[in-house]
Amino acid sequence: MRKLAFFIPFALFISLSVFLFHGLFSNPMERESSVLNQPLPAFALPDLQQPEKIWTPDSIKGKPMLLNVWGTWCVTCNAELAYLTELREQGVMIVGLYYQQPADAAFGEVFNLAALQQEVALKLEQQGNPYQWNILDKDRTLIFDLGVTGAPETFLIDAQGVIRYHHIGDINPQVWQQKLAAAYQSLQE
Amino acid sequence: MRYFLISLLLLTGTVQATEVLIEFKDPQQQALFKELTQELRCPKCQNQNIADSNAVVAVDMRNKTLELVQQGQNKQQVLEYMKSRYGDFVHYLPPVNKFTLILWVLPVVMVVGLMLLLLFRRRVQAHSGAAPELSSTQPPELEQQLDQLIEQYRRKS
Repeated sequence: MRKLAFFIPFALFISLSVFLFHGLFSNPMERESSVLNQPLPAFALPDLQQPEKIWTPDSIKGKPMLLNVWGTWCVTCNAELAYLTELREQGVMIVGLYYQQPADAAFGEVFNLAALQQEVALKLEQQGNPYQWNILDKDRTLIFDLGVTGAPETFLIDAQGVIRYHHIGDINPQVWQQKLAAAYQSLQE
Repeated sequence: MRYFLISLLLLTGTVQATEVLIEFKDPQQQALFKELTQELRCPKCQNQNIADSNAVVAVDMRNKTLELVQQGQNKQQVLEYMKSRYGDFVHYLPPVNKFTLILWVLPVVMVVGLMLLLLFRRRVQAHSGAAPELSSTQPPELEQQLDQLIEQYRRKS
């Protein structure tokens, strides 16, 4: 009885410590996307560089690809451009979903497509261009339907247009090898 | 001078607040919007509701909530709309399922367990019987034993 009385608080203390210690290394941003294993939500959005061209779920599917949510304003996105370009050279198909931040009317900002096109072209020229094309989501409607919380985020989409994997944060060699490469390869077959 | 100050005061009246004011025709919708924006959680921030946060995604969620509420959707419908995109994480009241069951069960288990432990300890104490109290009604032999013991310890020290 005495042993038990000593052991119970001790066991509680140890389990609490393990739980809290584990929490030190967990990523609070990481959680499973609720659109996983679902087809792409309906959308009809213009191409960034050729706005007369409208992309829909039907027109983008056919090959497994990475849908990369990014913006020139996003520092981490710029940092991953070089590695994504490398992946493109290895034959990975990457499509950009451009995350346009809302124009702040209080500061007199207005959305200017021509300026944005120029900015994006310049950025991709400097850092490398991993994208087959970019979809402009000016009002973040598709971004909202995909449950995107910020940039960069990347979705792995299979040939049928079904979302197979979701990654929050940048893609670097380590992340690619550990998380995405195998999933992408399995979709190729 | 006084007129100058008054005219200065009047001038400040033209400076307008830049906060967004939303007008509702229906006070019920207004209440629902307020309730929802306080219960929905910003998925980008750590522990802020969307009423509190100005992160882009929180602003978008607020606007979407407003749109859905003004379309006449009820609370459950709006919550479902948000959860189907951002997961159970976005509502401050998580549903009871196999992952969250521990949140409900653990406190009950702890309280019941502690009560049982206390009860158990009391019964054990009652059964083993606490040390008998000495009083004037105790037999005199005990008194003698005690005297002997005291004597022994005195000699030792």
